[in-house]
Amino acid sequence: MEKFLLRNTEHPNSADLDAYIKAGGYKALAKSFADKPSDVIDEIKKAGLRGRGGAGFPTGIKWSFAAADPKKPRYVVCNADEGEPGTFKDKPILEKNPHLLIEGMCISGYALEAEYGYIYLRGEYPHAKVILDGAIQQAYDKGFLGDDILGKGVRFHLVVHQGAGAYICGEETALIESLEGKRGQPRKRPPFPVNEGFLGKPTVVNNVETIANIPYIVQIGADKYSQIGNPDCPGPKLFSVSGHVKKPGVYELPMGTSLREIIYDHCGGITGDKALKAVIPGGITTPVLPADSIDCPMDFVNMPKHGSMLGSGAVMVFDETVDLVKVCRRAIRFLEHESCGKCTPCREGVGWLRSILDRVAGGSGRNGDIDLLLEVSKNIMGKTFCPLGDGAAGVVQSFVKHFRSEFEVHVNNAVSVAS
Amino acid sequence: MLSDKALNEIHLIKSKYQDSRSCLLPSLYVVQKENGWISPAAMETVGELLSVPDATVKGVATFYSMFRREAMGRHLIQLCTNVACMIMGAERLVDILRDKYGLQPNGTSADGRFSLVIMECIGACDAAPAMLVDADLHGNINENTIMATLDKYA
Amino acid sequence: MITVTINGKQIKIEKAVTVLDAARIAGIKIPTLCHHDLLESFGGCRLCLVEVEKLPRLQTACTMYITDGMVVQTETERVVEARKAMLEFLLINHALDCPYCDKAGECDLQDLVMKYGPSSGRFAEGKRKHPESYDDPIIVRNMERCISCTRCVRMCDKVQGASAISMVNRTSKTFVEPFSGGRYNCEYCGNCLTVCPVGAIMSRLHKHTYRPWYIEKNVDTICSFCGVGCTVTAQVRGNSIIRVIPEIGKGVNKGLLCNRGRFGYDYINSGGRLTSPLIRKNGVLEAATWSEAIAYVAGRLQDVKDKSGGSAIAGIASARCTNEDNYVFQKFMRAAIGSNSIDSAAAFAFAPAQKYFESIFGQGVTANPISGIAKADGVFVIGGDPTSVNPVLGLQIRAAAQKKVPVITVGYTPGLRNFSTHSILPAPFAETSLLAAIVSELSRIKSPDVIKSAFGEIIRSIQPVSSEDAQNACGIPADEIRGCADALAGMTNPAIIIGRDIILRSDGHTNLLLLAALMQLINGRIYLASEQPNERGIIDMGCVPDSLPGGRPIAVDSFRKRYEEFIGSPIPSSQGLGLMEIIAAAHSGQVKALYVMGENIAFNVPDHSYVKEALEALDFLVLQDSFMTETARMADVVLPTLSWAEKEGSFTNLEGRMQHLQKVVDGQGIDDWSALAEISTLLGVEMHYKGVKDVMAEIARVSPLHKGITYEDMEGGQCMWPYKGEPLRHDLVLPGIDMPDVKSMLRKPGKDMVYIGVDKPLFHSGSLSRNSQALSSISSKPFARIGGGLAGRLSLADGDYVTISTSAGSLDMPVMLFADMPENLVLVPNNFEGAGVYKILAWKMNENIKTPAFDSIEASLKKIERITAEGSA
Ligand SMILES: Cc1cc2nc3c(=O)[nH]c(=O)nc-3n(C[C@H](O)[C@H](O)[C@H](O)COP(=O)(O)O)c2cc1C
Ligand code: SF4
Ligand code: FES
Repeated sequence: MEKFLLRNTEHPNSADLDAYIKAGGYKALAKSFADKPSDVIDEIKKAGLRGRGGAGFPTGIKWSFAAADPKKPRYVVCNADEGEPGTFKDKPILEKNPHLLIEGMCISGYALEAEYGYIYLRGEYPHAKVILDGAIQQAYDKGFLGDDILGKGVRFHLVVHQGAGAYICGEETALIESLEGKRGQPRKRPPFPVNEGFLGKPTVVNNVETIANIPYIVQIGADKYSQIGNPDCPGPKLFSVSGHVKKPGVYELPMGTSLREIIYDHCGGITGDKALKAVIPGGITTPVLPADSIDCPMDFVNMPKHGSMLGSGAVMVFDETVDLVKVCRRAIRFLEHESCGKCTPCREGVGWLRSILDRVAGGSGRNGDIDLLLEVSKNIMGKTFCPLGDGAAGVVQSFVKHFRSEFEVHVNNAVSVAS
Repeated sequence: MLSDKALNEIHLIKSKYQDSRSCLLPSLYVVQKENGWISPAAMETVGELLSVPDATVKGVATFYSMFRREAMGRHLIQLCTNVACMIMGAERLVDILRDKYGLQPNGTSADGRFSLVIMECIGACDAAPAMLVDADLHGNINENTIMATLDKYA
Repeated sequence: MITVTINGKQIKIEKAVTVLDAARIAGIKIPTLCHHDLLESFGGCRLCLVEVEKLPRLQTACTMYITDGMVVQTETERVVEARKAMLEFLLINHALDCPYCDKAGECDLQDLVMKYGPSSGRFAEGKRKHPESYDDPIIVRNMERCISCTRCVRMCDKVQGASAISMVNRTSKTFVEPFSGGRYNCEYCGNCLTVCPVGAIMSRLHKHTYRPWYIEKNVDTICSFCGVGCTVTAQVRGNSIIRVIPEIGKGVNKGLLCNRGRFGYDYINSGGRLTSPLIRKNGVLEAATWSEAIAYVAGRLQDVKDKSGGSAIAGIASARCTNEDNYVFQKFMRAAIGSNSIDSAAAFAFAPAQKYFESIFGQGVTANPISGIAKADGVFVIGGDPTSVNPVLGLQIRAAAQKKVPVITVGYTPGLRNFSTHSILPAPFAETSLLAAIVSELSRIKSPDVIKSAFGEIIRSIQPVSSEDAQNACGIPADEIRGCADALAGMTNPAIIIGRDIILRSDGHTNLLLLAALMQLINGRIYLASEQPNERGIIDMGCVPDSLPGGRPIAVDSFRKRYEEFIGSPIPSSQGLGLMEIIAAAHSGQVKALYVMGENIAFNVPDHSYVKEALEALDFLVLQDSFMTETARMADVVLPTLSWAEKEGSFTNLEGRMQHLQKVVDGQGIDDWSALAEISTLLGVEMHYKGVKDVMAEIARVSPLHKGITYEDMEGGQCMWPYKGEPLRHDLVLPGIDMPDVKSMLRKPGKDMVYIGVDKPLFHSGSLSRNSQALSSISSKPFARIGGGLAGRLSLADGDYVTISTSAGSLDMPVMLFADMPENLVLVPNNFEGAGVYKILAWKMNENIKTPAFDSIEASLKKIERITAEGSA
């Protein structure tokens, strides 16, 4: 497949404006300005683009909600928080292809008649901050941003806003709170951000990769775009693969590529040709899959049918040597650390899960601990304010479901040591 | 208490945002860059500049784990131990930092050279285990290379 | 109409409310912890989870809005299991020190655990540790009990607007803290205490002094500190008040209180209370019996009356006393003494301002509901900081500001610092030029036919003052003045809040005229800040030199005749002396006896040495009071009276709302009105009221405004002006306009010149609060406020002592620096014995409105070098 999102990224100065233009950049911007803003939205809708941030919500529909709200100004926010462990797919765009993102933001701004855009960048990417700031300055200098873009009287300003170490700020309403200078806790909805987002105004939040798809759609047209990958959720998809594979990294592949193909064909299989034990397919909060379940098309439609989710497309591969109880504990430790503290089941319950897992993984598990884990997970599941808490419950449930025997070994050893 | 340069930077930030409260995180970054951490006095200053009550500033500053609430060593090691790095041996690196530099998580070496913070995923899982030293990313580090890497930071 | 079915019960509701509210309407209670009726719903605790048909997830009733046809179940097995799970989670990090915790018995968490379980927890690890914080004199924080519902923080941020506390950290390590981490730097409203559902934020003053079930009765009454008249519930055991708390949704305050209302009540138990009548014998005040004292007072007054006539006796009433007290006071003065020289401290600002506006727009023009401020589309504040004078009214301004409407403040209003959109700080005492320019700009913007009333003529005749001229005079840039006028012009139902500072000026009457013009031009509603609980009532009751109960002018024969008929005695027909005139007349020997009810004139009337001379010159001074005040020490007779909580009666608040003050506990002393009635009877005008109800009944007969009114009418708080009565209809009295030449008004203060002004600190209103230990623990000594420039010039730092001198005297006091204070001004409070600014406040009479004028009083500040740690050098 011809690469678009990662086009040019092997070049050493791919982040530079000239290199980007030479490779055909900013043509989509000019092209979109020839259409009415509403036409651009229609095109995105027609293309069938679904958000790449994890939830897979149809982007064109989200945009049309915001465009239907008469309140002004409107805002476009790019979610570059990329906090889900295992995910690093947005990083090559941010660091190596920043103008693709800027062009995408600018088209989004035009389509939504928004004059201000923000890129909410995670604090852990200081290098990307420098690159983006530089690229934005170049774009201003060359008239791709500012008060009169391409001499067409279009106004769009773009600011990089740096997060500061809070995974929850990837959740769009928490992100908006954080952008407003507040503690990053999710907001209740309704109202939805498309109606009352940043500063109470209609706001569209889209993932970096989603935004990066916009120029592509404008460039090749919705019809052609919708033929890439799975027609139900078409387009190119970035997969970030880590763990025990020979060639970890970010891969741009058609949506729906199977997990097996990703691991064995593109990443060269398991390191040291060991046996595969498990895969987390879509970032740490998606359910783990055992080795025999990897013949699944990686897209938003099919993954739930195979017992997991596409999530952010962050594939984490574990070989036969990995202690999955420890992985589970580490995942829960992460979620405990990142719980924003707003709602009871997540704030208190995830910490409780972690303390049980600490004891199980640490060799002092007790009889009944595994059932207690399931019980506590059940009490969290479906009752939290935002998906983070549910995610924690889902992680524990999936690990115990597929690898209960490993938990039992830990507990039994502990119990036998104790007695 | 903040240098003129920092104050100017905060004023520049204010010109980019539609309301002053939104400038809070970027302004706290300016403070952290200048002082290495965010002291209560700095919170008051920022609150004053942005018309945000000081208790509110504190609430915000303490929510985000990358805002430091204590003075740090000259260099900040942010070592990831999340799943991908963990299975690639990050925990061993924590031991080495403790043994060789006397560094505890959230602590500073006796000579004030390094501070260590254990990170959640820093988005470098393809180069696990990874760490940030100040703003530099170092991937695929191991027991043998970590000392050489750190030696470059005086 | 939306139809919903909750637990099988079908109800119809007009608008979309939350499931929680809908259930409440249906009489079904859904448990909540993070929700509070005074706060926006939050959705954090997850206790209110319910089942909604067709939705797979449980939903939070506090955040979900009903839709037509919705079917809700609130107590299914699944819901009950979920609630039990949430409670089990909450108990993980909850201290479970219930036997020791003061909240037990009124703790929402405890009650819910009793109802839903769990009976024991399965969490086996250690709980979060967090030592209880005693760093604050008033508030104890126990974060081991905190359940992170954030009600306190949301209250502090969104409703109180103080933003003094916040949630710090995240995850289960989150807790509530003031900025310092220890002591609070806040307004001590205590509204965080009201909303804490558990024992995490508690009053230190009440720690281990009560249990909820100790309380024998709850008495709803009215706070006695300021003119807002908040409803409070006094909780009583035996004959003592255990706590004073608000009730959510009740009264003008709807469940909010300020520090004085919540904590200041303890003055009634102060050791300084007078218990027995005192008569001065051989220069010393000695205890006497009641009958002896009453007879003695009657005799002495009769002597003066016989020798010099009734007009040689004057009376000063108090807006801290009830309508009943004040009604009897004026009747006593007019009928038994034969003098119309009756006034009170309301004469400083509230009464003249009300009179002035009523003379133009008719009676009742200043009677506007406080709740209207939050609904206004703009607020204009001038003449002082309403958030310290009338704190709960101030919250309404902050609420308006939260809705992003323009809030314009003129003058130093620190409590609105983060809430005003236009904060205008004219040079000291130069507001007139600013107001004149605003009015001129507005008359230009608003087409002249907006001004239809007769008053429109006056507005048109005000000679225009340009913003540039005003800029020269008050130092505010012309553009800013125009911006402010534009903002005002855009308002359609604004609130105008007027404080006393703008009135106590030599141009106070001009300011009032300009404010009247402003009100007319922008269709504003006027609110007069009112420092005492019954300033409006005291005017209604006729404790003013020129009008009778119901606001009827004495000068009008028919009114006077009717009044004489009602009370069955003749009264003098000429207008009496006003407050400042009474003092002057005492000084000159024209007034020979003074009857004072509940007012500390030796402290609360400016220029203490002059007042002292005046009081010393009197032949006879009687005082009714509960404390041995500065005035009491000079009196010939002191009659101890009941204080708030010990008596029944009514107050009329600044909106013109009559409210019923209830007797809460027994006290020593007698009712003010009853002492007066006894003396009156001895003087030949018989008054035989069996109780306060009789007095009220007489008011209801005598005052045309209060026709037939009873205490029952006041219950529920809806007894608003003009009650059931007839307002006075009258023709417009055109105030004489004499517009000063603004250009000549510029007071360019010399480089080293300092003006003195009166500060109104939040924690002390002056008279009663200084006897409150609670309030003293928050703020125990006075300080003068100065700005950075002045501090720099005099090398002063926070806490340095200075001697502040004026032509009238000098005072020693520490200073505090406030960056946003106007230059060339020192603000000094009048609330601690021996250190009241009125001591050194020289004044001139503003003859137009008969108020003292305090402008351009020059002061000098001199730093005192302190040698010892204990005292000043
Ligand atoms: C706990 C949590 C974390 C999230 N983190 C991210 C993130 O790091 N990046 C992201 O793009 N979306 C993240 N999301 C999804 C966003 O809420 C949102 O759906 C997305 O940014 C929308 O963009 P899209 O429509 O382009 O996918 C997260 C959601 C949750 C609940
Ligand atoms: S589930 Fe609740 S506590 Fe957890 S991150 Fe979401 S809102 Fe915060
Ligand atoms: S009351 Fe609804 S979540 Fe707390």
